[in-house]
Amino acid sequence: MGVNLSSVVEATEIEMSDLCGKKVAVDAYNAIYQFLSTIRQRDGYPLADSQGRVTSHLSGILYRTANLIEAGIEPVYVFDGKPHVMKADTLRERRDRREKAEEEWMEAVEAGDMERAFTKAQQSSRMTDEVRDTSIELLGLMGVPIVMAPSDGEAQSAHMCAVGEVHAAASQDYDSILFGSPRLVRNLTSSGRRKIPGRNAYRDVRTEIIESGELFGTLGVTREQLVDVAILMGTDFNPGIKGIGPKRGLDLIRKHGDIESALAHVGGEIPGYQEVRDIFLRGEYVEGSDLSVGGLDFDGVVGMLTERDFSAARVEAALKRIEEARKTNRSKSCQRSLSDWF
Amino acid sequence: MFKAEVKSETLKGVVNIISTLVDEVKFTVGSEGISLKAVDPAHVAMIELRMEAGAFESFSASDTEIGVDLDKIKDVLKLAGSGDVISMEQDEDHGRLVFRIGNITRRMNLVDTSSMSDPKVPQLDIQSSILVSAGELQKGIRAAETVSDHIALTADADFFELSCEGDTDSANLRLEASMLERLDVPGRVRSLFPLDYFSNLIKAVPADTKVEIRLDNDYPVKIKFPLADGNGGVDYLLAPRIESD
Repeated sequence: MGVNLSSVVEATEIEMSDLCGKKVAVDAYNAIYQFLSTIRQRDGYPLADSQGRVTSHLSGILYRTANLIEAGIEPVYVFDGKPHVMKADTLRERRDRREKAEEEWMEAVEAGDMERAFTKAQQSSRMTDEVRDTSIELLGLMGVPIVMAPSDGEAQSAHMCAVGEVHAAASQDYDSILFGSPRLVRNLTSSGRRKIPGRNAYRDVRTEIIESGELFGTLGVTREQLVDVAILMGTDFNPGIKGIGPKRGLDLIRKHGDIESALAHVGGEIPGYQEVRDIFLRGEYVEGSDLSVGGLDFDGVVGMLTERDFSAARVEAALKRIEEARKTNRSKSCQRSLSDWF
Repeated sequence: MFKAEVKSETLKGVVNIISTLVDEVKFTVGSEGISLKAVDPAHVAMIELRMEAGAFESFSASDTEIGVDLDKIKDVLKLAGSGDVISMEQDEDHGRLVFRIGNITRRMNLVDTSSMSDPKVPQLDIQSSILVSAGELQKGIRAAETVSDHIALTADADFFELSCEGDTDSANLRLEASMLERLDVPGRVRSLFPLDYFSNLIKAVPADTKVEIRLDNDYPVKIKFPLADGNGGVDYLLAPRIESD
C-alpha cells in the first residue's frame, strides 16, 4: 500500500517510448498484485487452469513484460524479502481485510451483485507461495533479470536507481521516493483503460514519472523531512497521528523542521519513529546483482504455460514479439514517434 | 459528388504508396482534386498526398469525403490491364463507389469516415535538401536489406550517403554531388531510420522519379516527390530512431 502522497505529488505524463533503451526496476509484488486484482473474469474469479491453479499473474507477466520489452524497456523484477518486524501490524491488517473481502465477495456472488463481487474479489487478491514461485519461474524462462531484496523491494530498487544501475524504479506506491529513488515511474505495467472501482466507467491510465529532486524542491522539504511527513501520516511501519494527512503533515514539517518539534507542537507520540526513519533512510539492499538479460527459453515458457491451459498460439506470438524486440533493442537505438515533434 | 476517370497505372501507383502505411484511408474531395493525410498506427510515419484534377483523364466533383479499403481497390485494379482507363463514380445513396473498366462494373462499399479524424501534422523546420532519383535510393536499400533493420541517411556539402551496420557486416551507398540532381546541405546531417518503412515507400516510387530528401540531425526526414506527371505529389514524414546513450 505505502504512503499515499498523491495529493501533493505532481507527476509528468510520459510515453513508454520515453523510457526506450532504459533499465527499469519493477516492484515485483506490486506488479503481481495488480495482475492478480485486475486480470479477472466478470464474476471476480481469477484466471485459473483446469486444476484450479491461479494464472492471472502469469498472463500479466507474459503480456505486460512483452509490451515493455517491445517499447525498448528492459525490466528488472525486484522481489521483496523478509518484511521488517515493524510491518507486522500492517500485514496482519491486510490479511484480515483480504479475508473479509473474500467473504463479502462470496456473499455478493450469491446475491447476484456482480459489480460488488468483482470489487470484493479484487480486494481479496493474495500472494501465495505458489504465485510467487511460478512468477519467478516464468520470469527466469523469459530471461528477465530478477533481484531478491533482503527486505523491502523498494529499498533495493531505490538503491539501484541511486547508483545508476537502473534508470527508474517502477511501482504504484510512493514509498520508493522515501527510500531514496531519484526517479519513480507509475502506471508502467498498467497503462491503458482502467475501470473506475464501484462505477460502470473507465478512465485512461497514463504512464507518469516523478523526479524526486524536483519534487523536494517544489514541496520545499528535504527527503529526510518528507520521511518525517510520512511518519506523521502513518506508514506501513507505524500508525501515525490521527487527522494528519499529506497537506497538514507538510505544513507541520515545513514550519517546525522535523518530527520532534512538530510533535511537541501538536502533541501526541509516535513510538519507534526513529526506527521507521532508519527503515526509509538506511534501507537494506544487496549490491552487485546480475542485471543482464538472459536467453529466452521459448519451449520452456510454452511448456509451462500450455500445461496451465494457455493457448500455445497466443503465448508463441508474445514470445516472438519479445524475440524480435530484443534483436532490435541490441542496436541501441530507439524508434521515436512523430508526436514528439508536435 | 465525385466522378472521375483515371489511368489504371496512375491509380495503381497512388494505392501502392498509401498502402505502405494504412489499410483504410479517407480521401478529401474538392472541385480542384483529391487529397489525403494518413498516419500509421504506431505514429512513425505520415503521408500527405494530393492529386489535382489534371492527374485524371476527366474529373468533376464537389466537396465530399470518401473512405476506402485499399485492399478492395487493389482487387479492382487486378481487373484492369495496362493502358486501361478506370471510371469511378460515387453513389451517395448507397454509400458506394462504382468502378467501370470496359464492360465490367464493380460496386464497392465505402468505409465510414465519421471516426477517421485528420492526423496532426508535426511542425518541422529542415534546412538540408537533396534531390536524387528513386532508382539510386532503391540500390542503396537493396544493399542495406541483407545487413540491418535500420538505415542511416547522411549528407554533407559534397555527398549523400545511405549506410547501415549490422552486428558484423556493413554496407553503404555513397553519392557524390555530381551524381545528384541537387545537394543543398549547409553542414553535416545524419539521422537513423527504420529500414522497412523507408524501403516500402521508396520501392513504391517509379525508379525515374526525382525524390527530394530533407534531412537533419536525429530528426524526422521529409520525403517529397511528384505524382502523375507533376499533377500531384506526396509529402512523407518518417520519425527517426535515436541512438540511446
